[in-house]
Amino acid sequence: MRLLLVGLSHHTAPVELRERFSVDDAEPLLEKVCGSDAIEEAFLVSTCNRTEILVATRRLEEARLRLRSLFTREWPGDHGGDAGSALYEHLDSAAMVHLFRVASSLDSMVVGEPQILGQVKDAYRVAAGCGATRVVLGRLLDRALATAKRIRTETRIAERPVSVARVAVDLARQIFETLEGKRALLIGAGEMGAITLEALRAEGLVDVAVANRTPERGRQLAERFGAVAHGFDALPRLLSSSDVVLTSVGGSEPVVGAAMVQAAMKGRGHRPMFAIDIGVPRNVEPAANEVEGVYVYDLDDLDAVASSNADQRRREVSRAEGIVREEQQRFDGWMAALRAVPTIKHLRARAEAVRRKELERTLRRLELDDGQREGVEALTRAIVNKLLHAPLSRLRAGGEEETGLAYLEAARVLFALDDDEVPGAEADAFPGDAGE
Amino acid sequence: MTILLQLAAALYLAAGISGGVGVSLGSPRAGRAAIVLLLAGALAHAGSFVALHGVDPVPPLTELPMAVSFMAFVMVLTFLVFARRVALGSLAVVLGPMAFLGAFFAGLDSPEAESTSGAGAWPHAHVLLAGAGLAFLAVAAVAGAVYLLENRRLKRKRLQPGPGGLPSLESLDRLNAVALAVGFPLLTLGVLTGMMWTDGVYGKVFTGSAHEAWNAIAWLIYGVLVAARFVASQSARDAAASAVAGFAFLLFAVVGVGILA
Repeated sequence: MRLLLVGLSHHTAPVELRERFSVDDAEPLLEKVCGSDAIEEAFLVSTCNRTEILVATRRLEEARLRLRSLFTREWPGDHGGDAGSALYEHLDSAAMVHLFRVASSLDSMVVGEPQILGQVKDAYRVAAGCGATRVVLGRLLDRALATAKRIRTETRIAERPVSVARVAVDLARQIFETLEGKRALLIGAGEMGAITLEALRAEGLVDVAVANRTPERGRQLAERFGAVAHGFDALPRLLSSSDVVLTSVGGSEPVVGAAMVQAAMKGRGHRPMFAIDIGVPRNVEPAANEVEGVYVYDLDDLDAVASSNADQRRREVSRAEGIVREEQQRFDGWMAALRAVPTIKHLRARAEAVRRKELERTLRRLELDDGQREGVEALTRAIVNKLLHAPLSRLRAGGEEETGLAYLEAARVLFALDDDEVPGAEADAFPGDAGE
Repeated sequence: MTILLQLAAALYLAAGISGGVGVSLGSPRAGRAAIVLLLAGALAHAGSFVALHGVDPVPPLTELPMAVSFMAFVMVLTFLVFARRVALGSLAVVLGPMAFLGAFFAGLDSPEAESTSGAGAWPHAHVLLAGAGLAFLAVAAVAGAVYLLENRRLKRKRLQPGPGGLPSLESLDRLNAVALAVGFPLLTLGVLTGMMWTDGVYGKVFTGSAHEAWNAIAWLIYGVLVAARFVASQSARDAAASAVAGFAFLLFAVVGVGILA
């Protein structure tokens, strides 16, 4: 069985091409792919950054043509006639490694991002649900998910946030025990401020107030967060009741001065205040950070933390790649054992056929009672098993290396396995079947 | 008894190291391991107290090493109770070594015990209450010290090593406040029972010994700190600094003066 992966991603295709290949319901496509005689199993993953199809096949060239044709001529809707140059292929071990890297977010635009693992899981559920993944891809995907989890546990690749919004949330957690019950004030209607506020709300922050220079724009934003809109004149009052202050205002002068913050802190019983200043130029006077209990982080500060965290993630990549290689070798071993199964079954069936034939011929000439017949039967079985034990063990353990493949070839020639038809010997099987 | 005390000391030290690893590498796992080690240390420590009854004669709790050992034990228990609600494992980096010293000190040869004849149950009540008060105030001081470090780091915009780093400022401030609110009344009861003990032995509540004088000053200082914290709305940073300074003085008054004497 061979593995073939064909697809396009943010590495090879611009967003306008990727969005044409984005798939909401993978099932019809999987059914289409599995409808081909050349393809045994299939898996499709589609996110905003990639669309890839992985198949298990015994007829590689046919499968390749089928997948390429699907991407370039048969894709539903606005098919991608110009997708050809954006497509890439990975074969066997390279396909395994690619899948492990994708699931582990090593191939993502933001290395270490957590969403891709869930997306691969969902895609696997869909493929398994319509029977597109079975022995080989089922096991491969299980390993891919396990590898991703192992990487998240054993490395620090996903430990620290790398976006400004997530860094702000992380810092808020270092100041406040919980964001539940805390009050946020969004000053200005900048989109970055709103994005950061969304990230904070996802952590439990509910109570929000919005202050904006233009009342109309402020009202729109307030509606989005279920908040009340205020003008800048209400800032001193709002500051004294806010735990998290987000500023994203245009203009050359700071909107929040150190004296205003100092006065607000007196009114709030010295409870800490976290000010996230995303405005450029800065909206909060830098001296406000000197006020006791106030922590002011501007865009440069947040960027510096995000960059440092991204550096750490990059340093973890080589460790993660090592885990991917280990898992790939383990799966390669399993695939190699799978490859040896038909030969092993064939050889055993051949030996069993010879044993039965010779046993029947001998027993016809001898007059033996039932106990003696059983004894002779057991003797012949033991001889065959002992003779086959060493060669079968070597075939199983041979793996994918050249010697392993040479053993398989030698066994087929030496025992003339290709010269005759032994009933039942050609059946495809699980590796475990070879062990009895 | 000695073996159990040594085991408790070793486990506390291991908890401190594990807490240190948690802080420096930002490993939540190391922080959790520190809590488990502290718990194991507390169990061994409790076992050592039970084993005391097999020693002939039973060492009185009023001996300084025993009192310090008891204080360390209560301090660890207090911390473990707080750690159930907030992830405080990394604080073991400070608390572990402190508990280690307490348990280790108890294993040392102690001076002749002061006579407690005629004092009834007051000596033990004094040690139990004052020891528990000291333990809570020690936890407040640890929370205060870590608060100061964290506050400085956040103000200077330095990175935390990782998610297993130190607790949030708000958690540390709350721990400081609760430990102070419980510790000061216990300390007060400890001082009062100490006066009863003195009265039972010498017929007066204050003999003018250095131990009494220093402890009276320490109690007064703590009284001021509690008032500043809960009446005058002291800021979290000042409260943290006060908890550290107050405990340093109290430790000197209780243990330092005893050793020097």
